[in-house]
Amino acid sequence: MSKITRESLENIAKQKKPEDKNWIKVGMSSCGIAAGADKVFNILTEEAKKRNINVAVKKCGCAGMCSVEPLVEVNVEGMPQVTYGRVNAEVAVQILEEHIHNHRLVNDHIYDIQVKK
Amino acid sequence: MDKKIIYIRDTGGVSGTAMPDKTKDVHSLLLNGLRDRGMQDSVQAVRVADIGAYNQGVVVKVLPDTAYYGVKDEDLGRILDAVKQGTVVKELTARKEPKQLRIVLRNCGVIDPESIEEYMASEGYQALKKVLFELKTQEKVIEEMKKSGLRGRGGAGYPTWMKWNFAKQMSVDQKYVICNGDEGDPGAYMDRSVLEGDPHSVVEGLMIAGFSVGATIGYFYIRAEYPLAVERIQKAIDQCYENGLLGKNILGSNFSFDLEIRLGAGAFVCGEETALIASIEGRRGTPHPRPPYPSVKGLWDKPTVINNVETLANVPYIVNRGGDAFAKVGTQTSKGTKVFALTGKVKNSGLVEVPMGTTIREIVFDIGGGVYNNKNIKAIQTGGPSGGVIPKDFLDTPVDYENLQKLGSIMGSGGMIVMDEDDCMVDIARFYQRFCFDESCGKCSPCRIGTAQMLGFLSKIAEGRGEIGDLDNLRRISQSMQRAALCGLGQTAPNPVVSTLRYYEDEYKVHILQKKCPSKKCRNLLSYKIITEKCKKCGLCFMNCEAKAITGNKDDGYTIDMNKCVRCGRCFEVCKFKAVGKE
Repeated sequence: MSKITRESLENIAKQKKPEDKNWIKVGMSSCGIAAGADKVFNILTEEAKKRNINVAVKKCGCAGMCSVEPLVEVNVEGMPQVTYGRVNAEVAVQILEEHIHNHRLVNDHIYDIQVKK
Repeated sequence: MDKKIIYIRDTGGVSGTAMPDKTKDVHSLLLNGLRDRGMQDSVQAVRVADIGAYNQGVVVKVLPDTAYYGVKDEDLGRILDAVKQGTVVKELTARKEPKQLRIVLRNCGVIDPESIEEYMASEGYQALKKVLFELKTQEKVIEEMKKSGLRGRGGAGYPTWMKWNFAKQMSVDQKYVICNGDEGDPGAYMDRSVLEGDPHSVVEGLMIAGFSVGATIGYFYIRAEYPLAVERIQKAIDQCYENGLLGKNILGSNFSFDLEIRLGAGAFVCGEETALIASIEGRRGTPHPRPPYPSVKGLWDKPTVINNVETLANVPYIVNRGGDAFAKVGTQTSKGTKVFALTGKVKNSGLVEVPMGTTIREIVFDIGGGVYNNKNIKAIQTGGPSGGVIPKDFLDTPVDYENLQKLGSIMGSGGMIVMDEDDCMVDIARFYQRFCFDESCGKCSPCRIGTAQMLGFLSKIAEGRGEIGDLDNLRRISQSMQRAALCGLGQTAPNPVVSTLRYYEDEYKVHILQKKCPSKKCRNLLSYKIITEKCKKCGLCFMNCEAKAITGNKDDGYTIDMNKCVRCGRCFEVCKFKAVGKE
């Protein structure tokens, strides 16, 4: 990437690129990684590829709910934005199949729901 | 088709009484109700694990925004009818949920910490641009900081603008700014999370600090125990150099700034600013007397500003939104928000960020979900080894610098440890005293000898050899340490002892006079015995006793010989009939 100038910084702020429509974020700070976020991240990337699910798997920092790490935040068009906690390999696959593919929320692992405006 | 979603959660009974988990029943009732109304395909009923409402009974929420609290089985039909008709059952809704306010953690958990593009897409480096091209002068930036009322988040709460102003007024050839990321309090990890979750905001804050005081070189002092934080800050710095945000003539202005990381080897005292400076200079990390303060004579004898990670993460926000907007949040004397690492015996441990002035009760019960295992809260501890305990009677105190100080604790860097009735205050004081004893650098005698002596007295009391005069000795040593110790570590090291003595002197006295520990924590003061009425003579305690202190057989029952007992508590744990008594 070339050097940023004053103007390009202004442009970046203006043309806030529309966020990807479908994404999954995995909390990858020390607390998350200690709880196994690394593994969950890998499973999500691999399985999404295997199942041909069009979703961007991203990393992010700690969202604060350290007692229920690993945290996985899921945003799919037409669904509320949901944070899943205590995600293991099994739940990760469920998220891909149920939430993202069938548009049904996964029971017992939701820790936060945000309503889109 | 837009699908509606109902979700339910059992938040436990009102005032923390344990209730059997009803979620499963409610869930199946809801499913049946949906089927009866032919809505099973258009509405999904989902069980959630936690949605931040506590002690409200069963909560049913209908997306997007209707929430029903304390729902009984018979209410479900009405709710479902309302969902079908698109209306709301008004009488079940009233209540507002407590809210956190995220300023420091605005990007944590939202953006990819390793991507400068994502940071820039969420207002990143706009504050730097504003400083360089709109505010232009150092005075204006400091003026904004003054308006904001931001105070240092490292513990003492010194106004940030004053620190900057002192350093600015010095006219010398070289000045420095340092980010203090040497977070060492047991149970506190706010700084680590900010460094790991949003490194660019701290980098930007440090750059603005550098501009304001006229420094051209900045250092990150991060402890080596935080490898991921170091990695991410290094990545952020590299990305800034690649993009021309660090180096010579940043963004085409005449401001030049360089940043480097220095690793701390994990000595607690190196969080003290003069010791930190010594450590960066490559010397042994010991403090020296102030004044001269670092903002006058700091790193390599040049004016140096040292700010905490959280303080710096606030800076870009203040510049972007203006100092006045920031000052609207918080109390009279303490502005903005504070991040707390909520740990200990609390249901939901984690990071919370609340406006100053939020009460401790709101933090622990409304956000943290109350005490683990539905036990009763005894106290909370803030400020780590430099702070004190706050008994449960003061839970409704609004949190700010002054209020915590009045209660004998300090804000500290933001650890908040919840303690329940099983925690012994003598044991807590002893724990922190041991920590300070281990971490004392040994340069000044009040701290070196004081911590050792205090630890000795506390151990004596906890082991049942205490005398009533020990309490006066503890008080006397505390006073002299607070007055005579060289640095903050030594001056504040007695705080846990002083505050526990202030609120829980009775507990100390029970240890000393009756040789008993009311919380059943201090091992040497415990005694075990078998309660014959409850004993089923199964022999499990006998088999598990490593010290061979339990004798007897399956016919006659068992007895514990307290002379042989090592008080490991194994028999107490294994007994299924609660027939082993502990006191």
